[in-house]
Amino acid sequence: MKVKHIFYILGAFLFYFGLTLLLPIIWSIYLGEGDLNALLLSLLITSATGAVFYFFFKPGEDRISLTHKEGFVIVTAGWILAATFGSLPYLLYGVFSTFTDAFFESMSGFTTTGATVITSIASIPHGILLWRSLTQWLGGMGIIVLSIAILPLLGVGGMQLYKAELPGPVKDKLKPRIAETARILWIVYVIISVVEFILLLFGGMGVFDSLCHTFTTMATGGFSTSDTSIAHFHSAYIDGVITVFMLMAGINFSLHYSVLTGNFKTFFKNSELRFFLAVALIATIIVTLNLRLNLFDETVKSLRYASFQVVSIFTTTGYVTGNFADWPALSKIILLLLMFVGGSAGSTGGSIKCMRILLIIKHGYKELYRLVHPHAVTTVKLGENIVSVDIMESVWGFFILYLSLTVFATLIMSVLGVDMMTAFSSVAATIGNVGPGFGMVGPSSTYSELPYLGKWILSFCMLVGRLEIYTVIVLLIPEFWRK
Amino acid sequence: MRIVIIGAGEVGYNIADILSKEGNDVVIIDRNEEQLKMVSENLDVQTILGSGSSPHVLKKADLDRSDMVVAVTDSDETNMVACLLAATQSRVPLKIARIRSPELNGKSELFGKNHLNINLCINPEREAVKSAVNLMEFPGASEIIDFAGGRIQLIGFNIDADCIAVGEKLSKLGELSGGKNVLIVSITRGDKLIVPSGNSVIEENDYLFAVAESTDVRDVLEFFGKDIDLPKRVIIMGGGITGFMLSELLEKKGISTKIIEKRQDKCEILASKLNKTVCLHGDGTSQELLKEENIQDTDYFIAVTSDEEANILGALLAKQLGAKKVISLINRVDYVHLIPTVGIDGVINPRHSAISKILHYIRKGKIISVTPLYNEKAEIFEVVALETSEIVNKPFKEIKFPKGTIVGAIMRGDEIIIPGGNSIVLPGDHVVIFTLRSAIPQVEKILTVKLDYFE
Repeated sequence: MKVKHIFYILGAFLFYFGLTLLLPIIWSIYLGEGDLNALLLSLLITSATGAVFYFFFKPGEDRISLTHKEGFVIVTAGWILAATFGSLPYLLYGVFSTFTDAFFESMSGFTTTGATVITSIASIPHGILLWRSLTQWLGGMGIIVLSIAILPLLGVGGMQLYKAELPGPVKDKLKPRIAETARILWIVYVIISVVEFILLLFGGMGVFDSLCHTFTTMATGGFSTSDTSIAHFHSAYIDGVITVFMLMAGINFSLHYSVLTGNFKTFFKNSELRFFLAVALIATIIVTLNLRLNLFDETVKSLRYASFQVVSIFTTTGYVTGNFADWPALSKIILLLLMFVGGSAGSTGGSIKCMRILLIIKHGYKELYRLVHPHAVTTVKLGENIVSVDIMESVWGFFILYLSLTVFATLIMSVLGVDMMTAFSSVAATIGNVGPGFGMVGPSSTYSELPYLGKWILSFCMLVGRLEIYTVIVLLIPEFWRK
Repeated sequence: MRIVIIGAGEVGYNIADILSKEGNDVVIIDRNEEQLKMVSENLDVQTILGSGSSPHVLKKADLDRSDMVVAVTDSDETNMVACLLAATQSRVPLKIARIRSPELNGKSELFGKNHLNINLCINPEREAVKSAVNLMEFPGASEIIDFAGGRIQLIGFNIDADCIAVGEKLSKLGELSGGKNVLIVSITRGDKLIVPSGNSVIEENDYLFAVAESTDVRDVLEFFGKDIDLPKRVIIMGGGITGFMLSELLEKKGISTKIIEKRQDKCEILASKLNKTVCLHGDGTSQELLKEENIQDTDYFIAVTSDEEANILGALLAKQLGAKKVISLINRVDYVHLIPTVGIDGVINPRHSAISKILHYIRKGKIISVTPLYNEKAEIFEVVALETSEIVNKPFKEIKFPKGTIVGAIMRGDEIIIPGGNSIVLPGDHVVIFTLRSAIPQVEKILTVKLDYFE
């Protein structure tokens, strides 16, 4: 492992990463709410640190190539650095008194979780709020992928980083070059974001709120500019627009690309997409009926709240329009289960992902089929493609690791003294990058009351969930570091 | 430039590697998922799973927007169909196919404009056989590459302990050899590649690349203490396509040839096709058989089975039993480095031959030919000096060449100059330049030529 190269790349990454603070700085200058110094200082510290590493470790040769191992280390370290340096604005302005809280909020931003420890959002200046939303938008499509897309920093190594950051069970490269693939994904991301921004403006949301909510919807993040989340706006139109865009953000972005290039057939024939939409639809119908029969008198109202909340949790966004803690048990259980499904592979959504769930179901069915026809030659197929045994094994491995980590973290949380529902749902909501859970971390409360150690455990869960388990966990096994 | 490569085997993989690193968009198609996985993990190219002869798969690879198709699967038929589809379905301008069958050579009517319309047919085995025969004509050299239509040759050879040049500076070589026109363009010492100057000293076990006029090559090799006698008796191990073509060629040159093949049926086919060659049924790694066939009096033992490890072992065994020189067919780059250290005298590398043939072809323009050396770390190429170039009309010592670049030879009309510090290049001269891959952009700059592709 070439430590020099790792530092060099991370230095370059950090330098450019610091520059993203320019957007909130512009806003801060415009409004003059006193957060300018904190933001400027953060930029300075971040980019200067990056520049020092960059120049100090600049290698002699022009082209450096990376191994798989270095890819894992760079991506994981890059995310931890982003969360650490991203917490500077909160710390320097004094939003939080402890590093734990600032780091938690920052990590929750970049991993697009949307779990917050801020109890009163109204007291925070707009520059910092914009930074908070921006962290989600950057983390949504992936900060490393962004660097690959716009920085010609890496030659072949880009592939290792790309794979470590967007692990997904099946990778489809849209273009021969990795940098171009990354660029296309980001362009699609920006285009859809612009459309949402305009539509939200039409709903009378105001430029700042529209921008922040666009950032956090497209990333399936869930940070809002108000303590009451989307419920604050009391608008069916806004609920509707955001529901649609949460769904879009939960779809594989290479499918969006195929639509933008006029290839509708690929889009509608995709089996993962069909599965994704079917789950959303069925869950919405059940929750709507459940709400209509037990809580609300109007069907339309039930549908509005049910659809928004189902899509929000399912795509792992985590916006709230109704206090689902008060909803009937069936609805609550459906929401809790949806946290374990998540968006499509290649989307900005988190959790296990539809693709894997679909493959596991198909594999289960195949085993049953084999009991009926013991001599049948069977394969798991996804659309027209046969899914290889290797991929099936990695999907099962992921599934088992995901569940084991959830159980393990839940145990630790309960040792720390929180109640059962809080312990389980906080882990499920962070490892799945959802945001709100149940109990102490329910839709109308925040994560601020949790014990310190608990916040660190959950920050770790967020990172592990965002980088799809393997990339981070592989660093923790001794075999990885053995020479 | 967008290039679709069909077949992710050794040849496909390496071409994809070179072309993608030079900034081309490369798509690679193969039926083997494992193979593709290796490609996508190591190279920045797009991979597509499927058969190269399927119209559907080729459509998926966006053949319509591609500039070139390189079909290098194991199957001639697949390669031909792929090129045919590329011509009819998508009108790809440049098509290259690997055709291995000895019956279908590049000149065949079938590949002409009116039929399959394949621009270049490469037969790695044929290329390899050619280079093997070249090697046998100059037994002392391990590699020989032709330039200027064969009038200038690049020779690679090892320095033995008893060579009189050991411990001498390169600038002294001229005196020692009695005015032979030769230029050492590179020295490999261990893993290190050195681009020498006049003060560099030759050491034992160095591997040199030298440029010389082809009429001088024999003398040059003799000077360095290398063997220059033509072989009389050759034993070939392995009766596949390569073995067959090789014995056919040697037969024509009047060299006594024996060929050993394991399979009875293949032996029968060989015996019916070859006239003078002795076809032996047996294992080429069997001591009894080798002794029986007088291995100790053999000038060359050439192992060309499809099993690379067996080739190496067979060659070593033959050497131990007394064969004067042994050559073995090796495709894997990993093994090529081993060869001089274990005592094998030469290598036939069909993969390498195919790659350099393809690169030759696609880098047209002012560049006349290009050959990758040292596992693609360096290249040697022939180029026409332009009026605008920085290297013309100036003595060499005043020109600032990029690091790792040497002009090996100048051709002016019929005259061939092996240059020194006072040599001058005139516009229109052909120049042979050796350069490290890392210096290529600077070389392009001073030549005002782009090492560009055929458009």
